[in-house]
Amino acid sequence: MNIKTNEKLLVNVSLMGSVCQPNFQGLPAEPYRLDANGNPFLLPSWGSIVHNVSVGDSAFGWEADCIHPGVSIKYPNEAGNRGLNILSCVGNDATIMSGEAKNAKGVVTGKSGRFSEQVILHFPKKIREKISINDKILIKSIGVGLKINNFEDVFCKSLSPQLFNKMNIKNKSNKMIIPVTNIIPEHLIGAGSGLTSESGSLHIQTTDNSEMKKYKLDKLKLGDIIYIENYDSSYQHGFLRNAWAVGIIGQTNGPRAGYGPGITILMSSKKNNAKAKLESRANIINYIKFIK
Amino acid sequence: MISNIKTNEKKLIKMTIGGYATQPSFKNPGYIPNNDGQAVIYPGMFGIVNNVKVGDKAFGWAGDHIEPGVSIDSENINEHFALHYLVCTGNQAIVRSGEAKGSIGIVTGEHARNLVHFDQKILNKICIGDQIDIITHGRGLKLLDFPNIELKKTDPKLLKSMILKVVNKKLIVDVAIELPIRIMGSGAELNSEYVDQDLMSGDRKLMKKLKIDQMRLGDLIVINHADHRWGRSYKKDHISIAICIHGDSVMTGHGPGIMTIMTGHKKDLGWKINKKANIKNLLKIKL
Repeated sequence: MNIKTNEKLLVNVSLMGSVCQPNFQGLPAEPYRLDANGNPFLLPSWGSIVHNVSVGDSAFGWEADCIHPGVSIKYPNEAGNRGLNILSCVGNDATIMSGEAKNAKGVVTGKSGRFSEQVILHFPKKIREKISINDKILIKSIGVGLKINNFEDVFCKSLSPQLFNKMNIKNKSNKMIIPVTNIIPEHLIGAGSGLTSESGSLHIQTTDNSEMKKYKLDKLKLGDIIYIENYDSSYQHGFLRNAWAVGIIGQTNGPRAGYGPGITILMSSKKNNAKAKLESRANIINYIKFIK
Repeated sequence: MISNIKTNEKKLIKMTIGGYATQPSFKNPGYIPNNDGQAVIYPGMFGIVNNVKVGDKAFGWAGDHIEPGVSIDSENINEHFALHYLVCTGNQAIVRSGEAKGSIGIVTGEHARNLVHFDQKILNKICIGDQIDIITHGRGLKLLDFPNIELKKTDPKLLKSMILKVVNKKLIVDVAIELPIRIMGSGAELNSEYVDQDLMSGDRKLMKKLKIDQMRLGDLIVINHADHRWGRSYKKDHISIAICIHGDSVMTGHGPGIMTIMTGHKKDLGWKINKKANIKNLLKIKL
């Protein structure tokens, strides 16, 4: 049975963000961060325009620390940036409003959390070449307030109707059957626990690489829809038996303890009212039209 | 306690650092969401807590992240980090200003600020803003026979007070309670030299079943499969030992906080459950 939502009651609000510059610590200009074994490393990290990593690519293997595929934006002041980060929903349409790439269209594919607070967008690679730091990007945000008929206990977060309607979710005997690429056990969730689930990211922890192979997580791709067991993201992110959360892989793995691939949570419930259905094509690139 | 545990104690630096008794602080409008999504307001972090002490229960208080005793900090951000990176549990505290000037206390842990215990008579005299100096001692402490066990924020006095045994070349530490790795939450995003990690107490039935709800402030705890060397993450066969430093929380992903004091591989480090393994008993803290 197909599932209906309150989509027609949602409000569409414009948000603006500017393409952000990579950041490093000021003086004494120590450029290193520490990996999970205490070794200093220097690698590109979040923010800016990333030309050669896109949704659909592997979330592992890059010489990078939690790289955002495509383009990352921020609003210059903190309160405005909270508005941008909370109201942006995965699947929302974006338009470039200034610079050489003016009028080009893109899509929101994820968010980043504590310490960066950016919104991650896909733009075609040819368009990325024209985008400059500080270019203004407008997001037509819609999705906050989304409710699913007959599943009042399910909280939707950062989830646009554009994406929800394509996720092939079915109602079978009062359970939502959700296609996902992977199921992640709760003990492999790291950074983001305890923080708000309305914005930002929750990270898989990859310090123990053998666990990645054991749960086949080493094959994760950016844009994959995943299911987390025994995890409640109704308000904030935390452990709860029989609860569940579904999210999208928004950013790549990194070497720091607690910071594997980042997940933007899309749905969660404390109730045992959903079931993951493993499907390798459960990736945003198969749900929303993308130009590579 | 084993009398012959070899350390580099004599090489450590004793350095004074000043902090100030903090005022409670709220964000407007003050509500936090509890596990059920209800908005609640509770006394919480910061401040001088007069009636919750190290050794008391970590659960059940009408508070959120309650920090026993006096919570001290500096508003200068670099001094704030110095307090976090130099102060060790068991360090001596000396009140330097106000009505309690000259009084002695003891550091019982580190949360978002450092926590200092004073006898009730002294506590009654301490005012917000009073300067409290800590004689920091412990940064750099090493176990000479166990080079792969890392110590964090441990005053040599605390180490000596702990119930330790060497069995088959493995250091066995008495702890009050074991926490399963899957309930370890907020704090995973921070480096493990800074602040703490909360256990996630939202599954109340599981807390009761595992008797974690009996945990006390100051309890030594162990987490199996937790690597706390340069972060706080899952790693099979790594063991972390910590102290319970603050009270429970109603927020999802939060709960009582634990501050790491030892971390290493199971080849070198093990534990034994002993309900008395609480720093109130070990350091003979008077209320």
